[in-house]
Amino acid sequence: MKNVNRIGPMVVMAAATLYFLVPIWWLLVAASKSRAQFNNTTPLWFADFSLGDNLSELFAYRDGVFLRWMLNSVLYTGGAALIGTVLAAMCGYALAKYRFPGREAIFNIVLSGVLVPATALALPLFLIFSQFEATNTFWSVFLPSLVNPFGVYLARIYATASVPDELLEASRLDGSGEVRTFFTISAKLMFPALVTIFLFHFVAVWNNFLLPLIMLGNERLFPVTLGLYSWNTQVNQIPELRMFVLTGALVSIVPLVIAFLFLQRFWRNGLGSGAIK
Amino acid sequence: MKGKKGPLLFFIAPFGLLFAAFYLAPIGYAIKQSLYKIERQGTFGKAQEVFGGLEQYTRVFSDGPFWESIGRVLLFGIVQVPVMLGVALALALLLDSGLVKGKAFFRLAFFVPYAVPGVVAAIMWGFLYSPNLSPFTALTGNVDLLSADFVLWSMANVVTWIYVGYNMLIIYSSLLAIPQEVYEAARMDGAGALRTAWAIKIPLVMPAIVLTTVFSIIGTLQLLAEPAVFRTFSSAVTSTYTPNLTVYSTSSIPNFNLAAAFSVVLALATCLLSFGFLKLTQRGADK
Amino acid sequence: MRPPMRSLSILLTSALAVTLAACSSGSDDSTDEATGGAASCAPASGNVELTYTTWIPGIEDVVKLWNDKNPNIQVKVQTGPNGNGGTYANFFNQLKAGNAPDLGHIEYDALPSFRVQDGLTNLASCSEVTAAKDQFVDWTWGQVTFGEENSVYGIPQDTGPMALFYRKDLFEKNNIPVPTTWEEYAAAAEKVKTAGGYITNFSQSDISQFAGLSWQAGGRWFSNDGSKWTVNFQDDNTKKVADYWQDLISKKLVSSVPPWTTEWDNAYNKGNAWTWVSAVWGANSIMSGAPDTSGKWAVAPMPQWTAGGTSAGNWGGSSTAVFKSSKHPYEAAKFALWLNTSEEALTALNKAAQLYPATKAGATLPALTEGVEFYGGQKIYEVFATASTQVAADFAWGPTMTDTYASASDGFKAVVSGTGTLNDALKTAQEKTVATLKSQSIPVAE
Repeated sequence: MKNVNRIGPMVVMAAATLYFLVPIWWLLVAASKSRAQFNNTTPLWFADFSLGDNLSELFAYRDGVFLRWMLNSVLYTGGAALIGTVLAAMCGYALAKYRFPGREAIFNIVLSGVLVPATALALPLFLIFSQFEATNTFWSVFLPSLVNPFGVYLARIYATASVPDELLEASRLDGSGEVRTFFTISAKLMFPALVTIFLFHFVAVWNNFLLPLIMLGNERLFPVTLGLYSWNTQVNQIPELRMFVLTGALVSIVPLVIAFLFLQRFWRNGLGSGAIK
Repeated sequence: MKGKKGPLLFFIAPFGLLFAAFYLAPIGYAIKQSLYKIERQGTFGKAQEVFGGLEQYTRVFSDGPFWESIGRVLLFGIVQVPVMLGVALALALLLDSGLVKGKAFFRLAFFVPYAVPGVVAAIMWGFLYSPNLSPFTALTGNVDLLSADFVLWSMANVVTWIYVGYNMLIIYSSLLAIPQEVYEAARMDGAGALRTAWAIKIPLVMPAIVLTTVFSIIGTLQLLAEPAVFRTFSSAVTSTYTPNLTVYSTSSIPNFNLAAAFSVVLALATCLLSFGFLKLTQRGADK
Repeated sequence: MRPPMRSLSILLTSALAVTLAACSSGSDDSTDEATGGAASCAPASGNVELTYTTWIPGIEDVVKLWNDKNPNIQVKVQTGPNGNGGTYANFFNQLKAGNAPDLGHIEYDALPSFRVQDGLTNLASCSEVTAAKDQFVDWTWGQVTFGEENSVYGIPQDTGPMALFYRKDLFEKNNIPVPTTWEEYAAAAEKVKTAGGYITNFSQSDISQFAGLSWQAGGRWFSNDGSKWTVNFQDDNTKKVADYWQDLISKKLVSSVPPWTTEWDNAYNKGNAWTWVSAVWGANSIMSGAPDTSGKWAVAPMPQWTAGGTSAGNWGGSSTAVFKSSKHPYEAAKFALWLNTSEEALTALNKAAQLYPATKAGATLPALTEGVEFYGGQKIYEVFATASTQVAADFAWGPTMTDTYASASDGFKAVVSGTGTLNDALKTAQEKTVATLKSQSIPVAE
């Protein structure tokens, strides 16, 4: 009886797995083909395996600009997500654990930041950075990427749920300062949520290409999404780029998949925290 | 409450300052821009920005294609959001049911698409929909998935593909947080797996579902990357296909003032819808 | 509790105020010179560094040639997506912010937009520039001067004279004569259809091809008399072209795969589409998009509206413009002239990105006088060199072409999906263009 019961669910799971992974599999296969074979061989199985050639061509193209983009993306996203998570955590924590006038107002303003379309922010940001002659710099993309209103929201909810007031009182009685308490006690309790916030923030910045598109003129500062987008617009002039776009797309998702694998232990527990009220 | 002003400032100011500089200031600037208009003399005359009051907003409200695009993303959202969340919920319940082996694998497999940037996902699916190059030519050769009749749903599929795993994880994690005692009680009452799911699990994860719905609504109204890429290979995707695409096209003309007015209206519409939805569910919950 | 909140809110509001003030100033005062007058064009005293934004692949190598020889005028290249893919939008933003590069890559059809935004330096006072006029193919000079006296808003770089690419092998095999008029082309289309192919693929989303076809037919879309613009996509010649293609579309004699996709490449590679009325750079598109058809193509002059006619259209082409915010128009112009007239630069540009030069002498570059193997050894560039001299000089573009293209393309896409006609689409595009001009306060005749 038990076995019969399991077949149905497993079939559904298998079908879902196919749905999610076949496109990725296709990308892997496509990236392993030469240009001629890409058009002429069966899309879901390998022809002559030239992923190595494609990779080395991709990495060598224009002085290795693609690797530079990958590095930039890691810096923009890793750096921004790390610092942004800490900032969001501190703010959310304060909103959760301290009572002060204007608290709800601040929280609502921050939360409504989630609603603002990216297109509305990007151009004004460009003009602001222009005033400081700071466009086309690393910072022009990095600094705005630090802000993650959704992170504040999650941090507040999680701090409310997982950091007991009694514990804070106790550490106050021990003479520990507020800031020290946060870093030594509260942050540890909030850790799973912080990993979640980090992950979401990481993916959001990793995906963002509109802001860099508007801010950056120097190709060597591009993140990988913008680089691939920019190649994709030039495909009609230089069709060779199409294979680079495909191979590059495959490479661009590898770091994130690795990050997911490593952080899995953390995010699978922390992810629900935002929803528990 | 003594001695907390320093720490409070320390906690809030860094985020607050950045938020003010990179969110509030740009929004303020966009609002200001939307109240101005351009005046010039002669065919190549010098342009001057003068105060125009609500003139740009009059344009926005009489702009047919813009409201059509709002209607389009609403239709998209009404269909895609429930389907996506329904699938996410079903998968989460299955994972949680104890009937599935290899949970860790499935969890990761479903989450992988979330790692694919929207631009890249759209390029990739473009190939998968292609009538000749697709692995599924049996389907795509006969039904043009990129034609006017289908392209909205083809795009919905891309969005679903990216976000089901993400939403599933949110729901799944909140299922994990349900205390075991609740299940014990259900088992005592003799409730089967289906009944437990329906009567206990779903109501308990409702907050998670509401949250993901709100974020899906926001995401739907702000669709940009997918239609921008689909434009290049589908004849049905116009320059005003989604509201955000309209904003981008308008600012590339360049008509900064009108683009600013579009985005202010879009932000307000998003706000209205997501808070409207929240209010609706809260009223439902109060009953 | 009060004091910290107050100081926090003061901090927040002052940050807000600073940034707001910062971005509201400066946006309007970047253009203080009266328009129309040519900027002064004097050499700088010391060393000069110029910035140049373009999307030409391989441009770095070309610019290096210049930098090696001109230590006093160093050029820094920035690359990005193509014009409509984002670089133009960036130029407009930068002009608004006052930090545009010295030089920019601007296609002919986008030049009026930049001039309307008062973004370009008039180079007419640079004697080197005006002296170079005769080096350029006549019509390209019209594109950068807008047909006005005492004005030069860019240095012509490349052109896209049009001709007919056709599958020589298939035409011969099926005994179809190579069409010399559009009437013959339509007749050939029927025969190609019988033989199981399409005569060509109608470009639904890249309106520039249709513009080139109208240009050849004598259509004139925009004109301006100095006080206002006239928009006309409904003149007889444009209508004639629209009706002609509408007929082919209705009879399903042409395919309508979106251009610049693998799908499109595939249509040519597999022999589904037999001809392409395209520009000189199309030679490379076919070579790389349809590698299996090597040796089977040939090039003939564009079909004519009247037998024995000699007119050609143009599709694409660009200029190197100097932005108004540049502090070194003299050096910038000097570099732009070198880039677009010197044999070494033109050879390098052609090698790196297949650019077809806008200079008269450019047609005689060694690479452009040889037979091309892919085209059965035919000296195809000779056909284009002739076509280039047959392009009418008085075709003008409007000041909001991005929007015009988008509206027309929205309509054309609908036609291909079975709604309306090309003429309806053009009519709508005209109305929308007029509306866009008005919303920008650009004077336009009704």
